[in-house]
Amino acid sequence: MHPLLARRGHLALYLSLWLLVGGLLALLLAGQRDIASGFAALVALPLVTAYSFVCLSAWYVARGMPLAGSGALRVVATALTTAVLSSAMWLVIARAWIAILGRHFGVADAPGLFGGIIPLLFGFGVLLYLLSLAVSYLLAAFEASQEAQRRSLQGQVLAREAELRSLRAQIDPHFLFNSLHSISALTSADPPGARRMCILLGEFLRETLALGGEHRITLARELALIERFLAIERVRFGDRLRVEISAGDAGSCLVPPLLLQPLVENAVTHGIAHVLDGGIVRVTAERSGALLRIVAENPCDPDRPRRAGTGVGLANVRSRLRALHGMDAAVSAGQQDATWRVELTMPAVEGT
Amino acid sequence: MTDESLRVVIVDDEPLARAVVREYLKAHPGVEIVAECGNGFDAVKAVSELSPDLMFLDVQMPKLDGFEVLELLGRQVPVIFTTAYDEYALRAFEVHAVDYLLKPFSEQRFGEALSRARARVLGQEAGPDLEAVVQDRARRGPAERVLIRDGAQVHVLPVQKIDYIEAQDDYVCFKSEGKQYLKDQTMGALEATLDPSRFVRIHRSYLLNIERIARVELYAKDSRVAILRDGTRLPVSRAGYARLSKLL
Repeated sequence: MHPLLARRGHLALYLSLWLLVGGLLALLLAGQRDIASGFAALVALPLVTAYSFVCLSAWYVARGMPLAGSGALRVVATALTTAVLSSAMWLVIARAWIAILGRHFGVADAPGLFGGIIPLLFGFGVLLYLLSLAVSYLLAAFEASQEAQRRSLQGQVLAREAELRSLRAQIDPHFLFNSLHSISALTSADPPGARRMCILLGEFLRETLALGGEHRITLARELALIERFLAIERVRFGDRLRVEISAGDAGSCLVPPLLLQPLVENAVTHGIAHVLDGGIVRVTAERSGALLRIVAENPCDPDRPRRAGTGVGLANVRSRLRALHGMDAAVSAGQQDATWRVELTMPAVEGT
Repeated sequence: MTDESLRVVIVDDEPLARAVVREYLKAHPGVEIVAECGNGFDAVKAVSELSPDLMFLDVQMPKLDGFEVLELLGRQVPVIFTTAYDEYALRAFEVHAVDYLLKPFSEQRFGEALSRARARVLGQEAGPDLEAVVQDRARRGPAERVLIRDGAQVHVLPVQKIDYIEAQDDYVCFKSEGKQYLKDQTMGALEATLDPSRFVRIHRSYLLNIERIARVELYAKDSRVAILRDGTRLPVSRAGYARLSKLL
């Protein structure tokens, strides 16, 4: 579709520009011999309007023969040929129009009048067509640059998505090292325990890998995963780590996979691990109307200085939720006395 | 200490991790486990009371981490670090640890570390160098808390709770919330570990938390006193006043 025909506003602007050209032609005609200025306008304005539509074809010529990749000679030859042809076509229309006007207003020598202005009209037609071609090439170049910009934007969006994918809870390798060390301890002291731990760890890793390919999972599945994670950590920490997870009727809501993983990982490594007697890691989810609210709480040592780098997991959760829900999701985190609390709010989306 | 037996303390907050060390030690005759500790406080207490020959020490623990335990114990005992984190290895060697075992570690690797420790004990080599520990501390930016050992007891003093510090012979005395704590350290060494924008040396014998200051009064010609919010009056030397004016 021609860009000028696609939008009404553009077409109106285009036609009004051509009316200016028509005024110019009328002036030129009136300057010729014995043509009254009123008659000149009557001849020029409709003719120019008709020609404006002929000149729209320049855009297709420009598209069919892009400047890059076409020989200069070919471009010039094609431009001149099409200009001459169009102008010739215009002359045919002009002749007919002047004949009609002549009959209507009783002008005696209409063919003579036409014959007198042929060079003027022809030259005018060729020039206008070449001008249209030039404008069309400009338009094409503009469109190409816009397209390039759009592509680079799209590239940025893709890169951002890739970044988000990599943000997806990466399992802390120290979790694995510590778990393996626990298994190493259990192999002699408690062989069945060692086997249980291997199985738990295997299941957790397999589920984590499987979730990597998913876009969204049910909250129930996510909670089952972190429960497994905490079961492994319980082998390490024993009674120091207690777990309470509840979801009520929110279990069927959809969440991005491994969304809560960094939160419970923090709860253990920055919370429980620094409290002598440990405590409860509590994850509670609830639906209220169109909102899903998830709260994760854990005890922490209020005297322990907060270290750099502890905010990475939380920042990841934040940027993932923002990417998915924009301003509809919120993450708040803070410490009160000896409890660290993170609250996530997001639109409740049901699974099908 | 008996002639042959090597007396060791195992410090780790995870029971299973202590079990690994205990089990590996079984294969080595002449080693006696004198204590197992689940946190840094207990470790300081055990080492103070039992003077062991060797300590297996985890880094990440509640309350006091492994390096803070060393800061409190100084040269008293050679240390083998055990941790899942390799990023502390460099620091461990800078404080002259005997060895650094990365979890999970093999029995063979453990044996090497133990032989190294025996050699060091036999050679009467000292434990971690306190000077190195303090330097390591200073490199990691201003201290957020001060550790004070009082016999077998440990006090952890967040720096914002310190009012001022007074030099007393070879000790420094911390005043905080109406209490006093003595630490075996020089004023200069302490000053180097504290945040200079928070603690200012107003006098040869006084290091002041500037948040505690209410006003400074001229006392006599060229001598001033700082009056704290709780009414305490501390002398301010001429150089101290210059430092104070620069900060306020």
